Amino acid sequence: MTFALFVQSAIVGVSLGSIYILMALGLTLMFGMMHIINFAHGAVYMLGAFVIYYIFFQGGAPYFAAFVASMILLGVFGYLVERSIYRPIKGGIEPTLVALLALTTFLQAAGYPVFGQLDKHVPPVFPGTRNILGVGISVERLMIIPVAAALVIALYLFINKTRLGAAMRAIEQDKEAAALQGVNVHVVNGLAFAIGFALAAASGALMAPIFKLDPMMGEQPLLKAFIIIILGGLGSVPGAILGGLMLGLIDSIVATALGAEPAFLLSFVFIIMLLLFRPTGLFGYAS
Amino acid sequence: MPRKLGVSIVLAVLVILALLVPELGGDYYVHVFALVFTNVILAASLRPSLTCGQLNIGHSAFMSIGAYTSALLAKNLAVPFEIALLCGALLAAAVGLAIGYPSLRLRGVYFAMVTVAFVEVIRLIAQLWVSLTRGMSGLSGIPKPSLLGMTLTTRASQYYLVVGLAVVILLVLWKLEHSRLGLIWKSIGMGDNLAQSLGVNIARHKLLAFMLGCFFAGTAGAFYAHFIRFLFPPEFGFLMATNILVYNYVGGRGHFVGPILGAIFLSLLSEPFRGSPYETIFFSIAMLLTILFLPGGLITLPGKLAELKRWRAAASPTPSPAA
Amino acid sequence: MALLETRELTRLFGGLAAVSRVDLTVDKGEIVGLIGPNGAGKTTCFNLLTGFLRPTRGSIVFDGEDITGLRPHQIAARGLVRTFQQTTLFQDLTALENVLLGLHLSSGKGPRQVLFSRRHFPADEIARGREVLDFTGLAAHADQLSRNLPHGHQRVLGIAMALAAQPRLLLLDEPVTGMNLDESGRVMDLVKTIRSRGTTILLVEHNMKAVMGTCERIVVLNFGQKLAEGTPSQVSTSPDVIQAYLGTGVADA
Repeated sequence: MTFALFVQSAIVGVSLGSIYILMALGLTLMFGMMHIINFAHGAVYMLGAFVIYYIFFQGGAPYFAAFVASMILLGVFGYLVERSIYRPIKGGIEPTLVALLALTTFLQAAGYPVFGQLDKHVPPVFPGTRNILGVGISVERLMIIPVAAALVIALYLFINKTRLGAAMRAIEQDKEAAALQGVNVHVVNGLAFAIGFALAAASGALMAPIFKLDPMMGEQPLLKAFIIIILGGLGSVPGAILGGLMLGLIDSIVATALGAEPAFLLSFVFIIMLLLFRPTGLFGYAS
Repeated sequence: MPRKLGVSIVLAVLVILALLVPELGGDYYVHVFALVFTNVILAASLRPSLTCGQLNIGHSAFMSIGAYTSALLAKNLAVPFEIALLCGALLAAAVGLAIGYPSLRLRGVYFAMVTVAFVEVIRLIAQLWVSLTRGMSGLSGIPKPSLLGMTLTTRASQYYLVVGLAVVILLVLWKLEHSRLGLIWKSIGMGDNLAQSLGVNIARHKLLAFMLGCFFAGTAGAFYAHFIRFLFPPEFGFLMATNILVYNYVGGRGHFVGPILGAIFLSLLSEPFRGSPYETIFFSIAMLLTILFLPGGLITLPGKLAELKRWRAAASPTPSPAA
Repeated sequence: MALLETRELTRLFGGLAAVSRVDLTVDKGEIVGLIGPNGAGKTTCFNLLTGFLRPTRGSIVFDGEDITGLRPHQIAARGLVRTFQQTTLFQDLTALENVLLGLHLSSGKGPRQVLFSRRHFPADEIARGREVLDFTGLAAHADQLSRNLPHGHQRVLGIAMALAAQPRLLLLDEPVTGMNLDESGRVMDLVKTIRSRGTTILLVEHNMKAVMGTCERIVVLNFGQKLAEGTPSQVSTSPDVIQAYLGTGVADA
């Protein structure tokens, strides 16, 4: 691997890592509050990308407007999922997880008759390349980094500086105590769903001009996000960010050297080794 | 004992169906019902793990291991079907041990995530190891099943084979569930901390339940390979794994018969759309409706209906004049 | 003679000591109380003793054997059995079945006996299960689903299950929390009877009246460290203890 290729894959890795971080943050946030894993996260990513296809490419709206629309539409969808699936289900976490699985397979399968069998393509929004350290990097991929960073900072400020954010933190600490202090747990859970879905939609919307669109496109990013939160620890925001960057870099560098699929196999083997030799290490003993 | 009676009735119905299907229907029905019984094995074999409170969303990976192992042994090394099937099942159980040992110590959601990722790993290995599995071209030319040197050439005879396998496996699983072992599994599912505090080695029992499921999923996979005689990696993906879980939930988690009922009901009803996206749409909707409106699954339906009738009767104690 | 002895028992959570260098001794036949303000490390201590948490440092010796780092089921098998602070039962089973599970899960049957046993519960086990229910005063509720029992009975059932596992040292985590005066009095009488039948007891409790009236010796934890130790009257007059409880505003508890 030449130096130029290394620089290129490192930068692509950071940009890929930013997408993974947005995915993993939503998952971690929802887990922290409700102890569920949103299996539908990949399907939401896919829907986020298709909103760009229809509003930006077909509808001719500006990309920025389509991006915001994608986040808002799927944020609302997330809130509705909380109302109609998460909230009514009684009897523990397991039925909820299975219901979210069913929602995932439904959205993926319904994608074929609704969006058509053929892969879709979105034309580039930021065409061209920019020279960094003597290496040409596509501007499209570069733009992902500041946008993702802005979203992460916005989320951070929301959680730490607003009253609703404080309510979310209160639920994360102790649901019963939060409810006793007058926090409307349902509404705040709905908000967490909305934020998680909106972040997944943003990831999909950012990737739409780069990858081809098909109903199964969310599966890989979802699995990557799983690996990140196992690495970084469920519920941990710094863990998700660090894990996301690490996996993005490994993915991009190993994928350049070996191909995308072996890179995925390798990261799974890494996870199993980690569980085997440091079962309590990275995320502590379940207590 | 009513529970025992219920199980005997279901088993009797299964056996009668097995005898009648080739007589009454043509090869098409034999084919469909052979797949139904394969699904019954898959669904029932997931139950021990679910009983222990382990959400395994990767069962199809072990079916895939059994299928490829048995197919390759029989095809490339001319290993007799019975031995190839056993090797497939054993390898599935061994891989189950390798994955289960590190991840079973994890709490529910971590375990679920590892199993989901594992489905993808097995699919990718099958897809990338082209020299062995032929990758995305698919593995064809798998020998038909045979017993004691006699090749089962007709569809009907292969069908009887899978019915026999299903009956044996269901009997074993039923026996286990109603032994002390089954009780221990149930106690782990109801409260793993409490079970531990009373002296149960929960890690060992969870692993045993998981490996047993892998073994039988491998068996089902091996039969499937020699029955369909063509293997294609994406078939054993996330969707099939979810379907196996769906059989259990739609049928009902509370009783041994639940997954069997779920597998028969859903496989038959979805038959018209097999292979199209509408099959998945149907499964997903059935799943969501069940979880939201009939959380105990189909097996609780008669009880619910009786309750409704009683409630109606109580609401209108006097017969209506029209009657 | 010491049945249980910890030395410098320490557990850190991310650098913070939940339990720090605690030396705890329980002699055979004693009833010992472990008290302290909220967050003093009592439950962490229980989790360490029963293997649900691993100590960061220090050792635990039970009946002459070092059990540090053993897993919960191994510790239970040696006769150190706990109850839980929240009511923890097998909700969908009857009271009798719960107790039978307690008997049964700890019966140490080998895998072959587990596999080939015909029925769940042989007659002799059922008889013993009924005996335990009788002893704990739950005989009338034997066939009720445990989740339908009133709170007080559920707590007692938790103790009955632990008893069925034949403990030599019984660890009770807040056995009378949420009970009225009458109920808690009866549970404390039960605890004394259990001891008189030869089982040593270590209990964590918030209800001071119950602790003072039942325990012969009390250990006070504060901020994860042992603050005081002695008879109920010694402890209740210790200035350190009064200070610790005043600091948290529960002096009159």
